[in-house]
Amino acid sequence: MADISERLHVVTGDAISARRRLFGRGMIWGSFAVLAIVAALQFAQSYNLMKVGFANWRPTLYAYAFWAVCLCWGQVVLRGEQGKRVLFVLPAALFTVAMVVFPLLFGLSIAFSDWNLASSEGPHFNGLANVRQMWGDTFFWNALLNMVYYVLAIAVEYAIAFGLALLLAADIRARKFFRVSFLLPLMLSPVAVSWMIGKSMLEIRFGPIAHLARYLGWENPSFFGSPWVARAAIEAMDAWTFIPFMMIMILAGLQAIPRELQEAARVDGASGWKSFWEVTFPLMLPVSLTAVLIRIIFKLKLADIIITVTSGGPGGATDSVTSYIYRVYRDRSNVGYGTLLAMFYLVIIVAAMTVLMKLVDRWMNPRY
Amino acid sequence: MKTDVYQAIMRAQMSRRKLLQGAAATGATAAMGGVFTGAGVQPAYAADNEALRKAILKIPGVGKGSPTDADWQKVGEMCLGPTKARIKPGEFKGVKLTFMGLNNQNQHDFLFRGFLKPWQEYTGAEISWIDLAQADYNARLQQSIATKTVDFDMLEMGAPFEGDTAGKGLLSEMPDWVKKEVDIEDYVAYLQAPVGTWDGKTYRVTVDGDCHNFNYRADYFTDKDLAKAWKAEGHKGEWKAPRTWAEVQEVSKFLKGKKDPLSGGQAYGYLDPYKGWGGFGFYFLEDRATAYVKMPGDPVWLFEPETMKPLVNNPGWVRAIQEAMDLRSFEPTDQINADPGTTAFQQFLAGTGSMVTWWGDVGQDANTSDSSVVGKVAAFDILPGSEDVYDRKAGKWVKAKDGINFAPNCAYLGWGVYVTKRVDGDALKHKAAWSAAAHLGGKDLSLWTVMYPSGFQVHRKSHSNIDEWVYAGYDRDYITNYLASQFGSYSHPNRTVEPRIPGIFQYYSVAEDELAKGYAGHYKSAQETADAIAAAWEKLTDQIGRENQIKLYKASLGM
Repeated sequence: MADISERLHVVTGDAISARRRLFGRGMIWGSFAVLAIVAALQFAQSYNLMKVGFANWRPTLYAYAFWAVCLCWGQVVLRGEQGKRVLFVLPAALFTVAMVVFPLLFGLSIAFSDWNLASSEGPHFNGLANVRQMWGDTFFWNALLNMVYYVLAIAVEYAIAFGLALLLAADIRARKFFRVSFLLPLMLSPVAVSWMIGKSMLEIRFGPIAHLARYLGWENPSFFGSPWVARAAIEAMDAWTFIPFMMIMILAGLQAIPRELQEAARVDGASGWKSFWEVTFPLMLPVSLTAVLIRIIFKLKLADIIITVTSGGPGGATDSVTSYIYRVYRDRSNVGYGTLLAMFYLVIIVAAMTVLMKLVDRWMNPRY
Repeated sequence: MKTDVYQAIMRAQMSRRKLLQGAAATGATAAMGGVFTGAGVQPAYAADNEALRKAILKIPGVGKGSPTDADWQKVGEMCLGPTKARIKPGEFKGVKLTFMGLNNQNQHDFLFRGFLKPWQEYTGAEISWIDLAQADYNARLQQSIATKTVDFDMLEMGAPFEGDTAGKGLLSEMPDWVKKEVDIEDYVAYLQAPVGTWDGKTYRVTVDGDCHNFNYRADYFTDKDLAKAWKAEGHKGEWKAPRTWAEVQEVSKFLKGKKDPLSGGQAYGYLDPYKGWGGFGFYFLEDRATAYVKMPGDPVWLFEPETMKPLVNNPGWVRAIQEAMDLRSFEPTDQINADPGTTAFQQFLAGTGSMVTWWGDVGQDANTSDSSVVGKVAAFDILPGSEDVYDRKAGKWVKAKDGINFAPNCAYLGWGVYVTKRVDGDALKHKAAWSAAAHLGGKDLSLWTVMYPSGFQVHRKSHSNIDEWVYAGYDRDYITNYLASQFGSYSHPNRTVEPRIPGIFQYYSVAEDELAKGYAGHYKSAQETADAIAAAWEKLTDQIGRENQIKLYKASLGM
């Protein structure tokens, strides 16, 4: 039966001759050899091992395109109808390799290079030197520690977002107006927030918040002068921008909870708090975790507010990994080391997020 | 005649005779160059034309608010004479140029756009703009060079980058006619070759002269109450503006808790920019250090020329860092978050603090910018000095020969307009780019830019004519004082000139990070901070290439 069902999908008989097979294999491996040789020459030139005369990386790109065409064509030559089926997926896979895998490999090659834009020698492979430099780089580890503080603050952001979502889900006056109003900070550019709040409202001489602080008895208000206050100020600005994002996700979740559940809880005599804690909150956990996970990803990219307001100061107290990498790359043109830091940070993020998601999954779906 | 030009002439009180002279010249040019489309005031062909200079100086007039785009266009149109004498109308039709420059304080490129608008209308060329913030400039330029993606035909650039650009053959050599048109002989001595040149070829139209001067509030130092308190607290000497960094420290500490004579608010002394500024903030530590580390007769002050070993951790530099650390608690509360843009524009010009070092913008803007409140009380000097100086060769502190060792910091060597090699293959584009550069760096136009907020300061000998400044509306004493601080720095025999070596801003940037840690107390001492900077600089030199750096550093010192 299996034989028959398979044959139902085969249009042609595909009696492939040995000569045709040989031609197909020759085409694929021949084009691959061309790609390998061109790429090897290109790498040799880029690492100053020999001069080939390639002006740019296009020869390798053309060789790759040639190989990709031969590979696809070779599938049909070698496997006939079966090969045609492969063509539904193979071009997309090759495109993905070109757009994701190659850049990643290129990024890795830069990460293990000594490449300062001011150096007349250009990039050259330096083994693990960048890793050793990172290991002893106190600025980087300090920024990473700051990221831990910033990520922990998401717990507070989540509580506020949940509270606001509950408010907006309740039957209050002008609910639509408040929903739009509370969303506005999310629509603002973080750079605009930095200038409006960090550089204007928190300005110590004429800023209205500084005036208020003086009025309340803080004689010499300073929002970016000491490490913890500066960190809190940066966190507050970032939170103000992104709490609406979590709020709107939680609000959507709240609206999806069937009213009958709440009513049943009330009939059973549950108080407001009990009804929230025993019914609403557990039901909201999947949405909450998704919101928090996405917020963590956003938070790990925090840079714009820091760059604009404090440049990482005072003394690195507000630095984030991204703002530090930005300085290494932009101000010091240290492309090799900057790329290594970015790659390492990516690995940390991917690993941490994977572990976190596994833990969440285990918690949400316990295996007894 | 356009009414605005007529008004300019009337403001300049131009005589009928001069007007006729201008008209005659206009006619001559029209005859030579075809259709004439310019303004009525056109005798600009003679660069020294007094009437034109007077006319442009009254746009809008000192004390009459900040100039606007209309003013920049007006000035650009009135200074088109040299262009019209050489270029036919519409000669560059179809030519497209790309200009990369800055947008600091809404100056630089903003002015260039206005100045070049009439030039574009006349020549037919089109210019597109790449505007950069100061802090982004270095990265953008270095990236273009390293990735061989120079995508601009004209470039506003400082001389420190000449090693990165001219040294790598990326610039177009200045034609002789441009040298004559912009009169490069008129540049002040320190901006003449080797600045603007590489391997004997000239590349730069200078539009700016840079040095850091000492800006202070005269009202503080004439205030009787402060003078009385100074005596009462037992300080030595008269209450007067400081001449040494030791006095700056003493005065700044004394002012803590006193009242600002102008605003009645809290009085402050010197304003340190403790926050980094994309590398440019390091110049301000240099301001404090040069008097301690620059020995007369020895051009070396930043690196050992034979080894590129950093000098930044020698006792002179350490004293400068220590003094900046000591003063932090006497400065405004959030000073650790103040960069140089804050100290000059949001603090000093806005009435906070009594002393700041900066480029000449402060004196220029004090009377011509709407945001300044210190126009009547600002005063100037060259950078403070020191009674002793660290002799690096002897390895000890020595008494200054003339009592006080002054070492003005000629930071950045001014902005210039450069043309890139991209235009060299196309004769028309080449001529168009150099014509635009010559227009921006014209002698008459430069007089206007150095008197009004532009981002550019005095850089020509002809800018020292006090009468022209007074005619524009400046107070004679004020401008005499200001120009003395500028020209006094340029021509000082012990001035420090910045090395034109690749990656100089990387050195500054990494130093800013280490200083930020030091100021925040992460290092145990100023010495430890300085050692961290030195270690980072050594790494950087190795990465960029020590041998090449030594060669270029020595060349820049004239060794």
